[in-house]
Amino acid sequence: MPERPTLVVEGLHAAVEGKEILRGVDLRVPAGEVHALMGPNGSGKSTLAYTLMGHPKYEVTGGRAGFDGHDLLPLSADERARLGLFLSFQYPTAIPGVTTVNFLRAALKALGKELPARQFLQTLSSEMATLKIDEGFRARYINDGFSGGEKKRMEILQLAVLRPRMAILDETDSGLDIDALRTVAEGVNRVIGEDIGILLITHYSRILEYLRPDAVHVLHHGRVVASGGHELARRIESEGYDPILGAAAGAPA
Amino acid sequence: MSIQLPIAGAVGAAAVEARRAGAPAWLAERRSAAWEAFTELPMPSPQRDEDWRRTDVSELRLEEYIADPGTAAAGEALLQAMSQLRLRAAPEAAFVASTRRGLRRREGTDMLDAQGVIICSLDDAAVQHPEQLRRALSTVPPEESKFLALWNALWRGGCFVYVPPGVEARVPVWAAHTAAGAGAAIFPATVAVLDDRASLTLIDVYASPAGDDDMVSVAATPLVLGEGARLDYCLLQQWGMGTWHVATHRASAGRDARLRFFGATLGARLQKAYWEVLLDGQGAEATLTGICFGDGAQHLDHQSLQDHRAPQTRSDLLLKVAVRDEARSIYGGLIEVQRRAQQSDGYVQNRNLMLSRGARASGIPRLEIKADDVRCSHGVTAGHIDNDQRFYLESRGVPRAEADRLIVRGFMQDALDRCPHQGVRELLTELLDEEIAGHPVAGVSSDEDVA
Ligand SMILES: Nc1ncnc2c1ncn2[C@@H]1O[C@H](COP(=O)(O)OP(=O)(O)OP(=O)(O)O)[C@@H](O)[C@H]1O
Ligand SMILES: [Mg+2]
Repeated sequence: MPERPTLVVEGLHAAVEGKEILRGVDLRVPAGEVHALMGPNGSGKSTLAYTLMGHPKYEVTGGRAGFDGHDLLPLSADERARLGLFLSFQYPTAIPGVTTVNFLRAALKALGKELPARQFLQTLSSEMATLKIDEGFRARYINDGFSGGEKKRMEILQLAVLRPRMAILDETDSGLDIDALRTVAEGVNRVIGEDIGILLITHYSRILEYLRPDAVHVLHHGRVVASGGHELARRIESEGYDPILGAAAGAPA
Repeated sequence: MSIQLPIAGAVGAAAVEARRAGAPAWLAERRSAAWEAFTELPMPSPQRDEDWRRTDVSELRLEEYIADPGTAAAGEALLQAMSQLRLRAAPEAAFVASTRRGLRRREGTDMLDAQGVIICSLDDAAVQHPEQLRRALSTVPPEESKFLALWNALWRGGCFVYVPPGVEARVPVWAAHTAAGAGAAIFPATVAVLDDRASLTLIDVYASPAGDDDMVSVAATPLVLGEGARLDYCLLQQWGMGTWHVATHRASAGRDARLRFFGATLGARLQKAYWEVLLDGQGAEATLTGICFGDGAQHLDHQSLQDHRAPQTRSDLLLKVAVRDEARSIYGGLIEVQRRAQQSDGYVQNRNLMLSRGARASGIPRLEIKADDVRCSHGVTAGHIDNDQRFYLESRGVPRAEADRLIVRGFMQDALDRCPHQGVRELLTELLDEEIAGHPVAGVSSDEDVA
């Protein structure tokens, strides 16, 4: 059986503004699986997400990252996206003057997934309905004046419309009310399948109850220090990070 | 010592004489006085003139340009290109086009003729509607500046529009000004007088063939709004990349009049444009909106004036500028509120986006407020494309160039939205897209090279 497209991260080091944040991250996320990435504030989760997506501010200082047999590191962000990578931002950027509908059309075109206008609008409408996003958002400028929760829904709308092969979701569940969380989780669930892998960065096990991760990893000081199944997330929720990090710190390097 | 003979048709006394011939006495006198003022006034200098501190025209030798091209220049193809532009954006509009040789086309005016709207050249207006023309010209006196003096001495043809009291002009008037050929000097003139409660959409276009022929354009646009009059004025400056362009657009607004002024600056090698509104009547209001895209070595200068001279007047200016390559944008703006203009509001915003390292933009608004019960504010920003915005779009697969195009278009969008004529707005959106994509749209395409 051919290997499924897999996100492979080996010994990845990255620095931002001269400060090393990632210090040897190892991770494998095959398509068809959902992996959760947890870890205390400032442990480097978003840094990993940005680095994998190719933000120019993050400088890779060592290690490898690849997807589906391609080396990601020499590629620009848009090239990585065209390879099938997607990032749902922890803090989505507002772009005044650019409407959601024009942006999505430009993105689909760039990805080689252009649809006839009518079909595109239909797809957009039905995905928006599923995510309980008001039609009016089509003509609104990307993330401009959106509430925190609206921005997160909009990220998932993009996920649903653009259909990547490997999605990194950075705290897409943060800042959502209970109903919105369910809507968003269901939105993610609908795209989950054999042909997409998900790396879900989160602080809460609640979303994991919906998404049933195949693996849970803990990032600390820029390294994956523990991995396990769903029960690891539950344990973190009830006991906090200390017992795990204590054990990891005590373990021989 | 050598004696330089005047070049045939050049900017000079003979060209003034040619325009005095056949003009009514008042106009002939005005032209002579204007020429005299021109010869006496010094060229503006960065050292002497506050307005010209950052825009240097000392290299410009006005007397070496040709105001009267003789018989060689036909200009038919160029007029056709100007007409095409109109058909693209406002096919419904009445069309009036001028070259150096005067008014050359007047088309599609039937509906406005039937409404009693007068559309003719300034030369004809001087004979047939002298009072209205003089009323407008009185707002652009020759003594005021070297360039206004020259314009007053040498304008020819142009577009004069008079809208009688209470008449709402059913279709826009499109005034085109065009010239071609190295050495051409043109003095575009658009004059609108809206009587009380009249309304009009006026689209004023300046363009020459693409390319960098060395030309000069000195323009003036006096606009007069009577009580309760409404004027939507759209201006498109699309001279070729070799043109020097100095223009005074000046509107005076009577009681409860409303002006929407929208200007797009795309062309010219160097521009100095005055966008001025004089709020003379109580309750008058004006919005002024500009978009400007500069590239290459363009030097584009906008100077605005919002002069509140009566109570309860309102003005709001937004100028959006994007500059690339070595282009330079200069903006200076003044909001003046006179003592009697209580309860007035005046706003100025200038936003600049620099797309290359070598591109520069500056904005210096000033307030001079002599009344005490007013609200005024100004804001200027200048920056580069935001990396996070670019990354966000790229992370969705959009390539860098397209991401930047979306961001720059987005940056201009709120200004574009304020364009009062939909067709013009769409045209500008397309022109802007071409500019952003790296195809400067200074000039129109035409096979003709002299007009
Ligand atoms: N642009 C930056 N300049 C300086 N330091 C930065 C920058 N970006 C991130 N860092 C630092 O890198 C570290 C990791 O940040 P990161 O955002 O990756 O953490 P995180 O695990 O996503 O945290 P959270 O759970 O709060 O989202 C932090 O100490 C942060 O301050
Ligand atoms: Mg984070």
